[in-house]
Parts: sequence; C-alpha cells; structure tokens
Amino acid sequence: MNILEAVFTGITQGAMIALVALGYTMVYGVLKLINFAHSEVFMMAAYFGLVFLSLLIGDVSAVNGIVSPEAASSTFAGVFGALRGHPLAAAAAATVLAMLAASALGIGVERVAYKPLRGRGKGALVRVTPLVTALGMSVLLQNLAQLLFTARFRPYPQVLSGEVQVPGLGAITSSRALILGASIIVMIGLELIVKRTWFGKAMRALSANEEAARLMGVRTSRVISMTFALGSSLAALGAVLFCLDQSQVYPTMGVVIGTRAFVAAVLGGIGSITGAMLGGLLIGIIGELVKLTDYSGGVDVLVFLVLILVLLVRPAGLLGSTRTEKV
Amino acid sequence: MRVAHPTRASLALADGAPLLELTDVKVSYGGIKALKGVDLRVFPGEIVAMIGANGAGKTTTLKSIMGLVPLAGGAVKLAGRPLAQDTTEQRVAEGISLAPEGRAIFPNLTVLENLELGAYLHRDAKAMKETLEDVTELFPRLGERMKQEGGTLSGGEQQMLAIGRALMARPRLLLLDEPSLGIAPKLVQQIFRAIAEIARSGVTILLVEQNTRIALSTSQRAYVLRTGEIALEGDAKELASNPEIQAAYLGG
Amino acid sequence: MVSRRDFGLGVALAALLLAGGCEKDDPNEIKVGAYLSLSGADSTFGTDTREGIELAVEETNAAGGVKGKRIRVIYEDDKSTTHEAVQKVRQLVDRNKVVALLGEVASSRSLAGGLIANTSKVPMITPSSTAVSVTKNRHWVFRSCFTDDQQGAVGARFILEHLGRRRVGVFFAAQDPYSSGLARAFRAELKRLGGEIVVDKGYQKGETNFRTYLAELKAANPEVLFVPNYYNEMVLIARQAREVGIPGAMFVGGDGWDSSNLVEGAGAELEGAHFTNHYAPDVPWENSKKFVTAFAARYKHEPTSLTAQGYDAAKLLFDAIERAPETTPAAIRDAIAATKDFKGATGTMTMDDQHNANKPIVVVRIQDKKFVYATQILAE
Repeated sequence: MNILEAVFTGITQGAMIALVALGYTMVYGVLKLINFAHSEVFMMAAYFGLVFLSLLIGDVSAVNGIVSPEAASSTFAGVFGALRGHPLAAAAAATVLAMLAASALGIGVERVAYKPLRGRGKGALVRVTPLVTALGMSVLLQNLAQLLFTARFRPYPQVLSGEVQVPGLGAITSSRALILGASIIVMIGLELIVKRTWFGKAMRALSANEEAARLMGVRTSRVISMTFALGSSLAALGAVLFCLDQSQVYPTMGVVIGTRAFVAAVLGGIGSITGAMLGGLLIGIIGELVKLTDYSGGVDVLVFLVLILVLLVRPAGLLGSTRTEKV
Repeated sequence: MRVAHPTRASLALADGAPLLELTDVKVSYGGIKALKGVDLRVFPGEIVAMIGANGAGKTTTLKSIMGLVPLAGGAVKLAGRPLAQDTTEQRVAEGISLAPEGRAIFPNLTVLENLELGAYLHRDAKAMKETLEDVTELFPRLGERMKQEGGTLSGGEQQMLAIGRALMARPRLLLLDEPSLGIAPKLVQQIFRAIAEIARSGVTILLVEQNTRIALSTSQRAYVLRTGEIALEGDAKELASNPEIQAAYLGG
Repeated sequence: MVSRRDFGLGVALAALLLAGGCEKDDPNEIKVGAYLSLSGADSTFGTDTREGIELAVEETNAAGGVKGKRIRVIYEDDKSTTHEAVQKVRQLVDRNKVVALLGEVASSRSLAGGLIANTSKVPMITPSSTAVSVTKNRHWVFRSCFTDDQQGAVGARFILEHLGRRRVGVFFAAQDPYSSGLARAFRAELKRLGGEIVVDKGYQKGETNFRTYLAELKAANPEVLFVPNYYNEMVLIARQAREVGIPGAMFVGGDGWDSSNLVEGAGAELEGAHFTNHYAPDVPWENSKKFVTAFAARYKHEPTSLTAQGYDAAKLLFDAIERAPETTPAAIRDAIAATKDFKGATGTMTMDDQHNANKPIVVVRIQDKKFVYATQILAE
C-alpha cells in the first residue's frame, strides 16, 4: 500500500517535472541548444504567478516588498477585484497570466541571448558560444530575481485547501488532483498542437532540417520564438502548480526542479516530446520509490545513476532518434 | 497537371524576357571564391540543365537563387525584379521552389506531412488537394506510402517526395539539385519522365545534374560550369555532340 | 571600442582610487573587520548581523570607546560565497590591517575565512557558526555561540526531561552537514539517556515533496519528531505534515528554524512546536531586555536572533580589547580566550578551552504564530 501511494505521488511529481522538461526538449529540437535559462524562466514564472495570485485574491502579504498594499488596493482593485472570494478561479486566472508573462520572458531571452549569435562563429564555436550565453542568462535572471524580489522564501497563499475523492484512489488533496488533471489536458493539447497544426509541423520540420524548413517558406525566427513561448508557458504552468502544491518561491528554486527536468528530457531522449513526458514520469516515480529505501537522502544520486545506466544502453535516451538520414 | 499557383499567373512577363536572370553572381565561402561571376538566363517554359564536375559551383548557384548564401556581387532577378532584399521565404512565396541536393526530406514526418509542409506558405486547401492529386498521379509510389515516415522510404522514393514537396508550393520555377544522385537506374528514368511531365504543365525548370547524358537529353538548353564560371553554354543537343563535352563529361 | 588612451586613463583612475582606499591610520581609532553575506542567497543573515554589530559599536563609542579610542568596523560583503569570504578576509587583514575580525554566519564561510585569520594570526570571533570544526585546532578562531553537538544533546534532553516523551523519530537533510551533524549528536544523547528512536530518515536537501517520507514517519507512530533543518524546508514539511495528519506540536527543531519566515509560512501548522535557540525576544535575562529595548528604539523593528548574536560577538570582542594589555592581535586573542562570565544579550558566556562560548541554550515554543520563550538548558 505504501508503494502504491508513493507511485501515485511520483506520478503527480513526474507530471510537473515533465511540464518543465518539455521546454528543454522543444528548444533543443529546433535549435540544438540546451537552454540553461529555462530553469530560471520557471523560477520567474513562479514569482509572476505569486504576484498575480496575491492581487487576485486581494491578499498581498506574500508579496510584501514587491507590491505595496496601497497600490494593490487602489490601482488593481477594479481590475482584479472580480475574482475575490473565488480562489479556484483566481488560481486559474493567475496561472494563465503567469503563462503569458513567462512566454514574453522566454521570447525576450531568445531575442537577447541567442538570436544575435545564430549563424555566426565557426566550427565548435557555433555550439559553444550560445551555451555560454545560456549559462550567463541563467545567472543574470537569478540575480535579477534576487534584486527585484529579495532572497526571501515566499510561500504561496494556500488557496487550494481541501480534498477531492478520486474513484479507486480515495481522497487526494485538491492541489494534486489539479496537477494531474492540468498536466494530462496540457499534454494532450500539446500533442495535438505538434501533430496537427501548421506551427507544430513547422517546428518538427525545423528540428529535422533547418535549411529544408526554410525552403518550405518556414520563417525560422518566428517558429523559434513561438517554441520559446510555448516551452516557457508550460514551465509557468508547472511553476504555479508546483508552488500551489508544495514549494515556496525563492530566486534559486529553479536549480532543483530544473536539474530534474533536464535529466528527464535527456532520459526520454532530448528532442523527443513524448520522451520528455515519459522521462518526467519515470524520474518522479523513481524519486518517490527511493524515498522508501535506506538511501532516502540521495534521491538525485539514484536518479542520475538511472540516467547513466539508460544512456549506456541507449545513448540517445529512451525515445531519442538514432536514425541517420539515408543518402 | 495543375501546377503554377493561380495567384502567380498575374505576374506579368514581357514577351521574350527571361523568368530567371543571374548577372555576374559571385559567392565566397570565407575567402574561397565558389562563384566567380556567373551569368545565366532561364526563359519561361524551358528546362535548362547545368552540368559540371563536383565542386564546380552548381549547388552554390542554386543556393544563391534561393537566398541561402549571401552574394559577394552581381544580381539575381525573377521576372525582371531583383531579389537581393528578399528572404528565402519570400522567394518561395514568389514562386521559386528547390528540391535540394540529398533530398533533405523530413525523416520523422510522414510522407503526407512532408508534402503538406510544401504548401506551408499558401495553405490553400483547394490548391493543396489538387496538387496532392497531381503528385500522386506523377509518383504513384508516394500515394501508397502517405502514412509512412519519410525516413523509411528508399532513396528514389525520397527523391520523388522531395520533388513532390517542392511542387506543393505551386512554383513557377522549379530548381532541382542532382535528382539522380545515388538512385537505381530504373527509378532515374521514372523521375526524369516526371520532370519532363512537370515542364509540360508550364513549370520552368533549372536542373543541376552530374549525369550529363540524361540531363542533356531532358533539357532544351544547358550551361557548363567549371570552377565557378560558365565555361560553355548552348543548345542541349549541340552540347551533347560537342567533342569537348563528350571527352570531359560523357566518357566518350 | 575602448581606445588605448582611454584604457590608460582608466588604469590611472583605478590606481588613484586604490591609493585613496588605503587612507592614513588614525591613531585614535581601533579598526575591526567584519565579513558578512550582505548580498546573495543568505543576505538576510548578513544584514541582520550587521545591525547588531552597528548597535554595539554605537553604544561602545557613545560610552567613551575602548581604551579611550573610537572603534571603527570595516564591513565587507562576501556575497554569500566561500571564495569571496576568503578574498575579503585577506583584504581586511593585508590592506586594512584590522586588529580583529567578526564573521561569518554560515559555518562553511567561517571555516574558509577562519583559515586565513588563523594563518595571518589575527583573532576572529564568529557570532553564529555552530559547526564544531569552525574552531577546532584553530588557535586564533573563537565563537560566541554554542556548537551543533551541544545543541543536539540539549534537544534530546528537552524531549526526555521536559516533554517527557521517549519514542522519537528523526528526520534530517542528509547532505547538509548542519542538519546531519545535529541529528548525530541528538541520537547519541537520546540513546545515552534511555530514549528510543523508532524511525530515522534522511531526505535530500532542496527536496520539496515530503509526502512519501511523512507517511512513513507517521506509520512508525513516534511521540515526537526531531527535525533539525532550516526554516525554509520546515515550512514545506509542516504544511504537508498537516495533510498527512501529523500535528505541529509533535515537531522539535534546532536554531535553523529561527526566522520570521517560519511562522509566516507555517505558523498555524506548527502551533505548539519547539526548537533550541540562542535567544528568544522575551527571554528573562536582564541584558536581553536592555538589548531589545535599545534595538527597537534605534531600528524601529524587532531584532532577530542573528542580530542579538552579532551584537554579543562585537561586545565580547570590545570587552576583550579593553582587557588586553595592548591593542595587538596577539594580546587581544589572549584576552578573548580568557573571557569569563561575560554578560551578553544571549546569555552569560565563558570561553572554554575549545574556544566555544559556554552559555545556556534557550528552548523556543511556537504559539499563536509567535516565538515564545519556553525554558533554558545549560549545555554540558
């Protein structure tokens, strides 16, 4: 019974990790770049969500020092007042707003740090230089967050208290039910976007062969921007759900979940969207099962061990493509 | 065959004017001069072949037409209009399509998705449906494999897919880069018959080909490119009987 | 582009600024260095401590200074990183020629800075680094607080003797030397005194999802859970413990809990919990009350425990300088080592031969989302 519970917790945890892992994998797909700033976009999105949620529920104590109570009550009352007393609606609205803000941030990061470097440099530098700017962007965002929001740990308002009955599982907290529900819907939606829309086809074409995609008339820079926007908004969804369920917000929070998400993306096969989902779920479940053992303090050690073992057997990850083009 | 996109029929072209004109086109790759001043003209309805040895600059010429490499000098004009400011996407929108060297199909997308991407710019449902019918008529093997991933096709089938995909944009000018490369001889015949068929439907074709014999027998006119310069040009049949060409490219 | 001439000018300017930094020595001034995390991840540690030191300096100088001279503290920010701590201590010793050092809060940085102090033969007092190794075999390094070993043992005695509970669960951050060190000292003392550890679980530092752990802890049915970690993780544990059905009063922790963020984040969930600490705002000691009143008057807000410790470390140092025969680092070191019954805001301290301040440890209770004094226990 204990194991079943742990697996279920692992699935909710894994679903959240998968949301973040998708951003790594999609950007890698189109740019062949590990976007190290992604974990920081996740962190900033958690702050965006906190600010919006606090304004929407009319309780700005969690964001003191960021938003003054006067500003909140005067300027925003008219705009945000409508949702007071409806915590679920407020949480949903805050999530959507955070996703939009994070998309803008993601696009901004791409424009500032990656786009100017594209197609420049030679040989190994083509890959190395953007990697370095990605790391730089990550440090910059972390410090920016510290400057804007201070290093304090800020808890999310607990708007999702209570439990819901799930057939077959018994009572689970409503925040975890929400994580599961939202993740499943989003992953199905993403699958549809990638498989059915022009944007999805263009994204997959671009990740397979950039020059050929341009010959189809794909505007690469627009598709890249939209990929960043999509990845960042998924990270934002993950961030808000994560904080509603279990975390406080602080400037270095991106590191822990970012590392696990990155491992999930590599484990599943970086560049593969289904792989990122699978990798996330595996990391989540393995992590929870490790907690039941005597090595409970070394979750990441075990997670990395699994990663290494999988990569030794399948160097491209579980679902990564090893196909070379026929000539 | 219904190929040229209806909206492009309005593009006016004076009688006897070339559809594509390259004047003194120069391209350098980091100090190495790949094209040293290429002059080339393709008239509406023609099949023009460009032949030459490996590294003569044939692929570079096509890339310069698509805007995939920056020009170091000279000009590319489509229907009399210089293309210097246009991006690759704009050139595709104006009616030039390239089936690139090595096919460059999208291996993890299905055959149908590959073809659909060819219509990415116009997204005209009616035109897509018509062209899809035409392509399957032209290459029945593709029709049988619509749901298969592109990467699972044979080399010849991939070449058909690359040409079909280029046609989906409904181009006025189709650029083909080495369509016979690494393909079984039987399929090569089939592909060149299709090329002739496409030309008959009113699409102008510029064909880059190492297989000089088949290139000269399919085209009306031809250019011979040698180390980045046009060495010879003229009627395809005359070139085929030119002793110099025979010695250098036809193994005879 | 920076032209060569501009570059030359810049170098000249920088040289001038550097020269300006080495101001002339004022004979009526005693220079003390303080290296703290004034920015970066632990910036609250550094800024809280600095307020305490500032108050101590103001009070001392207002009362005529030390040996008739004014005290001047030079603050350096190590940006919450170890390598910056090393740099700043070097700078204070070599360039500013301070006679003594104050700092740091985090044990890792006190260890690094203490190495430089020790090899440069300048005395250093850390106000709040509790790791045993900070002062171990370091002739020139002292602390004005208790150690993790003392604190862990007091935690065990509090549970057995004051709460009267025997069946205890331990839950700690496995990779964190502070947390695992406290847990180790706690286990040893609890077993020595006849307590029983019914479940003992490590978690990964930085973890946010504790449900699987908590379910297992609860299943073992302990009377008390000893969770020696930092406040930020404790907020999450307390919130998730409520979901699992573990009451807040079951928790006992250490001084890592000491932050207003703990009660802001999970005050209700932790109602009735206890933790060992250096100090409580309402601790019944005369010097503490004086300090709290003076501090509130000067800064218009309540002092934290780190502020009180910074204040005490500075006051203890000034007291030693006054007692030292001359203001040389060596004489000051000997005077610090000889400190006896120094009355500070965090208790009366005597420096033992391990360079640790021997003083009572306070137990704080969380009540109505506030920290309240519960009792005090003298470390053995």
